[in-house]
Amino acid sequence: MDKIEISLTINETPYQMRVLPNDTLLEVLRNQLDLTGSKEGCDEGVCGSCTVHMDGKPVRACLTLALEARGRKIKTVEGLATGDALSDLQQSFIDHGAVQCGFCTPGMLMAGEALLSTTPGPDEQTIRRALSGNICRCTGYAKIVTAVAHAGNPQAPCPDCRTQTPYLQAKE
Amino acid sequence: MSEYAIIGKRMPRVDSRAKVMGKTKFTADLNLPNMLVGKIKRSPHAHARIIHNDTTKAKAPPGVMSVVTGKDTAGVKWGVFAYTRDQQFIQTDKARYIGDEVAGVAAIDEETALKALDLIEVEYEILPPVFDPMEAMTMETELIHTEFPNNINIHVNIDTGQVDENFAKAHYIREDTFVAPEESYFQAEPYAVVARFDSEDCLEIWCPNGGPHMKSKPLSNAFKIPLHRVKVRKIAIGGAFGGRSEICPADYICALLAKKTGRPVKIKFTREENTIATRQGHAMITTHRTGVDQEGRVLARETTCYMDGGAYSSTGPIATSVPFLSMEQAYRMGSVRYNGYRIYTNKPIRGMIRVHGRGFAAGLDTQLDMIAAHLNIDPVEMRLKNSRQQGEYTSTKSFVASCAMDETIHKAVAKSGFSEKFGNLPPFHGIGMGTNSVQTGFPMGIRGGSQAFIKFNEDGEATVMSGVVDNGQGNDNMVVQIAAEELGLLPEDIHLVSADTETTASDPGSYSQVSTFVGGQAVKIAAQNCRAKLFDVAAKVLKVEPSTLAAKNRLIFVKDTPEICIPIKKVVRISLLNFTSVNAEGGYWPRVDMKREWVSNPYGQMCEAFSFGTTIVEVKVNPATGQVTVLNATAAQDVGYALNPLVLEGQFEGSIAMGGQGGMLTEYHEWKEGRCLNPTMLDYKLPLACDMPPIHSIMVESIDPKGPYGAKEAAMSIAMSAAQAYAAAVSNAIGVYMDSFPLTPDKILAAIKAKENKEPE
Ligand code: FES
Ligand code: FES
Repeated sequence: MDKIEISLTINETPYQMRVLPNDTLLEVLRNQLDLTGSKEGCDEGVCGSCTVHMDGKPVRACLTLALEARGRKIKTVEGLATGDALSDLQQSFIDHGAVQCGFCTPGMLMAGEALLSTTPGPDEQTIRRALSGNICRCTGYAKIVTAVAHAGNPQAPCPDCRTQTPYLQAKE
Repeated sequence: MSEYAIIGKRMPRVDSRAKVMGKTKFTADLNLPNMLVGKIKRSPHAHARIIHNDTTKAKAPPGVMSVVTGKDTAGVKWGVFAYTRDQQFIQTDKARYIGDEVAGVAAIDEETALKALDLIEVEYEILPPVFDPMEAMTMETELIHTEFPNNINIHVNIDTGQVDENFAKAHYIREDTFVAPEESYFQAEPYAVVARFDSEDCLEIWCPNGGPHMKSKPLSNAFKIPLHRVKVRKIAIGGAFGGRSEICPADYICALLAKKTGRPVKIKFTREENTIATRQGHAMITTHRTGVDQEGRVLARETTCYMDGGAYSSTGPIATSVPFLSMEQAYRMGSVRYNGYRIYTNKPIRGMIRVHGRGFAAGLDTQLDMIAAHLNIDPVEMRLKNSRQQGEYTSTKSFVASCAMDETIHKAVAKSGFSEKFGNLPPFHGIGMGTNSVQTGFPMGIRGGSQAFIKFNEDGEATVMSGVVDNGQGNDNMVVQIAAEELGLLPEDIHLVSADTETTASDPGSYSQVSTFVGGQAVKIAAQNCRAKLFDVAAKVLKVEPSTLAAKNRLIFVKDTPEICIPIKKVVRISLLNFTSVNAEGGYWPRVDMKREWVSNPYGQMCEAFSFGTTIVEVKVNPATGQVTVLNATAAQDVGYALNPLVLEGQFEGSIAMGGQGGMLTEYHEWKEGRCLNPTMLDYKLPLACDMPPIHSIMVESIDPKGPYGAKEAAMSIAMSAAQAYAAAVSNAIGVYMDSFPLTPDKILAAIKAKENKEPE
């Protein structure tokens, strides 16, 4: 098989590269660009740990050919923060204890960000449905769901929503 | 409010920032210069003699750098115990399950490696396989391992005496059998390993592991190199649940390929390989016979369990014991006899899994419910009559220093409204409870203790070195929290070096639920020793006695007059200028009975602490489809002391998902001729976000006298009591005591139908 020259825009950076027609977007991200934040949990479109955004929509990078990403805007977990400043959802995942082993986290974040961008203030059922293409073996999902619900949307009775003071003082 | 500054707080985990940014590296994320792709050739036969293993053709294609077979392994055999050394890293004589390792390849890329695998010519003589443990014991086929008659790998026999006498005194006796097939870990991260030999010919290796020191020893044995030349490195781990404890043949094969080629090699398992060729949970057939007095107190119990162990021993002696031990801890029994048999079959290898025998535990509680119904006793009462109490000895003679089992029962009952609901719910709507207990540690001999080192840097920040490993549960954060608390620093002032065999001292690993109790305690002691040194220096400067000092918020101050204080940074600098060390070490070795052995002497102090927990769930069953909807789950556990409620809640919730929702409703393996039919995430049904009920977590604190701040194992008992509660709730909803798990719709419908046929309206 011959390699094909393509250009991709990933996290707002343009790349030129040569890929095989059967290379998946996930393989290109991880193996060619060393963007290893997107994980390979199943390689068959089930676990969601490889979820990235293509033109703002969540897609499974393990089922997306690199060729399909030509001319599209790709965003990966590495592109969520602006420099050192985390997105609301990233911060919320930390604050609410939504991260355990962290293997599902990149995919969960991308699914959660996609939901929040189209549906602000989603209710619990909507969140659960939106995350149901992403498997987490550690958390039982409870804290992930709360993290999405409270992202940039602090709730007064929640002991984990970040207020002005850091947690050590806030929880006395 | 507690006197602690950092301990006991809902502190977000120190490792989560890198994780949400996608920066954390897992093994498969490592890309080393010049790295080769490793692949493993596996047996397609369940039982076959290897006649010939020819690699000539496989070595030919350009890009194939090395092909290894059993000939290259010098016949080294692995086993957790001396008496269970039955597994070669690459088989030389025969393959014992579909997936057994027969060769390894390293090549410049995956395609070339796969091509080489196909070119390896293994000639087999197919032997009759055996897949059923009961059949395996009849020995009609060739023994799977010649040294083990009747294919019985392990037999654990525990007998407290007086069993038959007490049965004779019993008012009521029941005998019931419960079954459950294999389940799998499905860690989010498929297994992977990267290995290289460095410039000094030391083996450097990265892989998800339950304990780096448990990996380094067998590697040192296999390569015949001293331990200091085996550097197991720290790497993020995508979940373990008991399935990442032992050395994996892939570790050895990867290292061997790296040695042969002089280049780094990465082996990345497919999802299917992770299911087939790491570990699975045992299938079990368990018979409980229980005799009670008029009040429902258990006078005698006899339990016999047949466990399908698969092709090799793995942690067999432990796995054969723990299902029983958990129950003997949870419940008092006047007398008990246990016979656990782990039997070899030609199936993948079974190991320890978070829910140690769902059929075993759920069976025992189901039977208690049956007895309670017969005696007209409420299930809560039934448990309170038999629940473990503080200050008692278990049947196998472990002293229980802290136990708040009853409090977990009372709190879970109150929160869930169990007493109002039980017996008063509409048809097909049920509620059920389970109680269980888990060890905080196993007797681990030479690796039972942990040591930590702490060094201060001149900027007043500290580096903590500890062998504790974080599989995802938050152990790194636990260590940082403890060190910061004791040193009077903030968590961000602590740099953690952990889970690395080159720089950290021996540690039991994240295995047997002991990390906080032993590893955390070691860090606490090291930090206290370090603090004492700081106080000596500070006392001189402040012209007070060291005993009057305290440390908090980067300051050392006089307890009664906090205005008199000095920054820790300054104390460190003064110490360095005065040639005084402010570095320290600390270690902790739990007092267990070193003579206790799983098979030969299963009596004596098992570990220093046990956790106790209760789960209650409420369900609705759709009588037309057999589908179960879980309305809510309430989990209460005696955790000793909650070091970080935020982290603990996450562990409770994960336990409900794995032990209850997945373990009791959907998760199991299906087989055809030794081939697993559902090894992938597509076919094996794991719980999703939309499946999970609301979960109420209740942390009960008994303050264990030995645990750091009183802490002990947290949340694993919930995975087990959740399994019991799910079974009880479904049984309660349909009015049939279920004895075959998991409770899939087909079984539920069949039970409903059978009941209707039995009692026509
Ligand atoms: S790796 Fe893409 S969905 Fe699992
Ligand atoms: S945090 Fe481990 S899989 Fe989700």
